Amino acid sequence: MTARTATDWEKTPAMPDGHFVSGRVYTDDAIYADEKAKIFRKIWHLACHESEVSNVYDFRATDYAGIPLVVVRGRDGVVRTFINVCSHRGAKIVNEPSGNAKRFTCFYHLWSYDDRGACIDIPRADGYASSGLRKEDAGLRAVRTEIHLGLVFITLDDDAAPLADFLDGALAPFETVLGQGNLEVFHYNSAILDANWKAWQETNLDIYHEYMHVLLRRTQMTAGKMDERAMTLHRNAHAGSGGLKADYERYAGMKARPKELMLPGIAPDAFFFVNLFPNASLLARGTVLRIDTVTPVDARRCLVEWRGLAPKGEPDADRIMRINHHNQYWGPFGRNVPEDAFAVEACEKGFAGGGAAFQLIAREENMSGQDDGMLRAWYGEWARRMGRAPGDPVQGEGERT
Amino acid sequence: MSVVSNELRELVHRSCFALDREDFSEFLSYCAPGFQYRISAYSPEIRKQMIWFDQDYGGLESMFEMVSQHLKRLGTLFRHPSMGIIDRVSDTEMKIVTSVLIVDTDPNGRSKLFAAARYTDTIDLSGSDPRLTARFVNLETRDLGVGSHIPL
Repeated sequence: MTARTATDWEKTPAMPDGHFVSGRVYTDDAIYADEKAKIFRKIWHLACHESEVSNVYDFRATDYAGIPLVVVRGRDGVVRTFINVCSHRGAKIVNEPSGNAKRFTCFYHLWSYDDRGACIDIPRADGYASSGLRKEDAGLRAVRTEIHLGLVFITLDDDAAPLADFLDGALAPFETVLGQGNLEVFHYNSAILDANWKAWQETNLDIYHEYMHVLLRRTQMTAGKMDERAMTLHRNAHAGSGGLKADYERYAGMKARPKELMLPGIAPDAFFFVNLFPNASLLARGTVLRIDTVTPVDARRCLVEWRGLAPKGEPDADRIMRINHHNQYWGPFGRNVPEDAFAVEACEKGFAGGGAAFQLIAREENMSGQDDGMLRAWYGEWARRMGRAPGDPVQGEGERT
Repeated sequence: MSVVSNELRELVHRSCFALDREDFSEFLSYCAPGFQYRISAYSPEIRKQMIWFDQDYGGLESMFEMVSQHLKRLGTLFRHPSMGIIDRVSDTEMKIVTSVLIVDTDPNGRSKLFAAARYTDTIDLSGSDPRLTARFVNLETRDLGVGSHIPL
């Protein structure tokens, strides 16, 4: 027999726990609500790069799992973050994605806030005298913000452990290149994909999927040795992989990355990456860096944001070449990223109506080659935070939603 | 409408139809050997003009050879050009700005807008037929979903 019966299809895979994931983690509304409360309101999230708010009064407005945020560099040079809604009627205040402003004035009733989130003006404030409202008590909601290696992290949890504890040294492979403090974002694009947010992060945790990309089959799978690859796991399921190589000239029209365009700490033929639980990835490929973040729009859609980083002030010719290197793989017209996006939407189609029952994350190659160990670690952390088993996440809670 | 304008209009439309059909050799037949193609977009998030795709004639040729081996979006993209401004740069060169709406139709026949953009084409008139020497595509749309392996 080759194809399986309905019973066999739905049966829990006969393999150790942690080696498979129920399709319900992608589709169940109760699980999604839990994820917002137990993961997205608790973790440190990579909101932007420091260069996006490089000057005093620069701001960067962004969305985080449906919550509008604004990151601001204050007059004292400190980067702070606030929930981007007015204390008065809850309207979103800052609607431009970025800019420079000494104060933020809500369009609705012209309440104003300064760069530290203090409410500095309420028109005709006397009208609140009898109800006791004072502008001193009407500041914006501050969001804890820390910067590490130029990356701006935020958490909605005032009681969260410090960022360094959360990261557990996972960004060490990027310390040299990010630590130089001379990078800027030259590429930004975002897309709402028709897929659960986890499916995107899985593409960055799943090295086995390099088979999908003809570009990687040609330039990467044959360039290095599988057993020279090494994955590293950290607390909180942050995970990285190094030892991957690229031979760019094996793909028509591409050239080897020139040494003079190297970024500090990255060899021209190197490819390595770090995934931060639950939703960020940093990738270094020869001459360019990429940062991904994914956040849910709802259970079935996610917002993916991609950034490309390069040295500030480099000669135009170098920048053009670096942009070209970035775009060959990444960006909306790259040879690589659109295929990843296609894959996550295809998985959504598989799981959305219950067609697919499980996904398998069972490859073991001693944390080398194309081991699924990063995926298993990720789902282990998901289970710890959610109090749910990835292979059986609802445990009799009811029908599929 | 002058004879030259009609020729230019036809060239722009033919180039769009060739890309719609993914007939890349026909598309390249409308391009001069020194052709430059670029897709850019302005990011209000980082306040920068970005280049998302930049190839010369040879680069496009190499890329087109590989398209069939890539996993790519299903269905079709239809380009709907609406020619706007035609400027004569010299006796042998014209510049045309064209608004373009690109419609994505999936294999089930469901269509939705993929992108709004503007072409700025430079056209060489020195030969027997007009040829594109440059097409710069400036995207208004920045969320392109799964993206595209094919020029717009």
